[in-house]
Amino acid sequence: MTLELKATPEEVMRAVETLEQFARVNGVPEKIVFGLMLALEECGSNIVNHGLQRDARQKFQVTIERTHDGFVIELHDRGPAFDPTTAPERKPPTEDDAPGGWGIQLVRGHIDEMHYRRVDGENILRLVKHVNGPGKRQSLS
Amino acid sequence: MPLEIKIQKDADPKKSGVVTIILIGSLDTATAPELDRQMMQCLAGRVSDLVFDLAGLKFVSSAGLRLFTVARKQMVARGGKASLINMQPQVEEALAIIQSLPGFNLFRDLAALDRYLAERQGSHFKPPESGENN
Repeated sequence: MTLELKATPEEVMRAVETLEQFARVNGVPEKIVFGLMLALEECGSNIVNHGLQRDARQKFQVTIERTHDGFVIELHDRGPAFDPTTAPERKPPTEDDAPGGWGIQLVRGHIDEMHYRRVDGENILRLVKHVNGPGKRQSLS
Repeated sequence: MPLEIKIQKDADPKKSGVVTIILIGSLDTATAPELDRQMMQCLAGRVSDLVFDLAGLKFVSSAGLRLFTVARKQMVARGGKASLINMQPQVEEALAIIQSLPGFNLFRDLAALDRYLAERQGSHFKPPESGENN
């Protein structure tokens, strides 16, 4: 299932809600649903806020797929090249730290695999979460 | 995924300066700006203890965690304290992943918070009898 979204925070949350519904229909445990939602929210927000500068005329795509052993979420955007997999691990926050910058850390805490590639001017970020138990390849119609 | 924000200023003169912000729903990239706006309005007044009650918060992202930190820094600047109570397990786990937010007081429930406030405010505030705030 593929969603085409405008580069706004509200559209990010539309994708997150769609993912939530899809995950629940597929019987995914609550804790994993939260993690999937959080990962998509963080990555989608990065695209909207940094890559596409909250320009509602710009668009990005999210695909959501249930595989035999989990979920795959892919985000596609045509913003400047940015590889979140190379973002350094953030040290524990201190009193003097500027607030924020925890998005990628939260994604890493909830997702099993994160892959990035740049193809023909497009950022493609692939998030993989393995879910225990049976599951077959299907997508939301 | 909406966010309902309720701001409660304690009418009890013995607990003056304690402001509780109750969050219900989702604190995310779309809803964080409204909390930011209301929180700043709140902090423009007299606040000695700022409490975020997260019992009804089902989802939080880094946008929300950032606001908690901003609020805490503002409270520290005025010699006050910030606390989080009644966190859902998923929210607690998100805090654990970023190795918590420095300087926040985390309380499992209102009773624990009341005991803490009583200590801070000395004889001017006494918590309710045990069992009233579970």
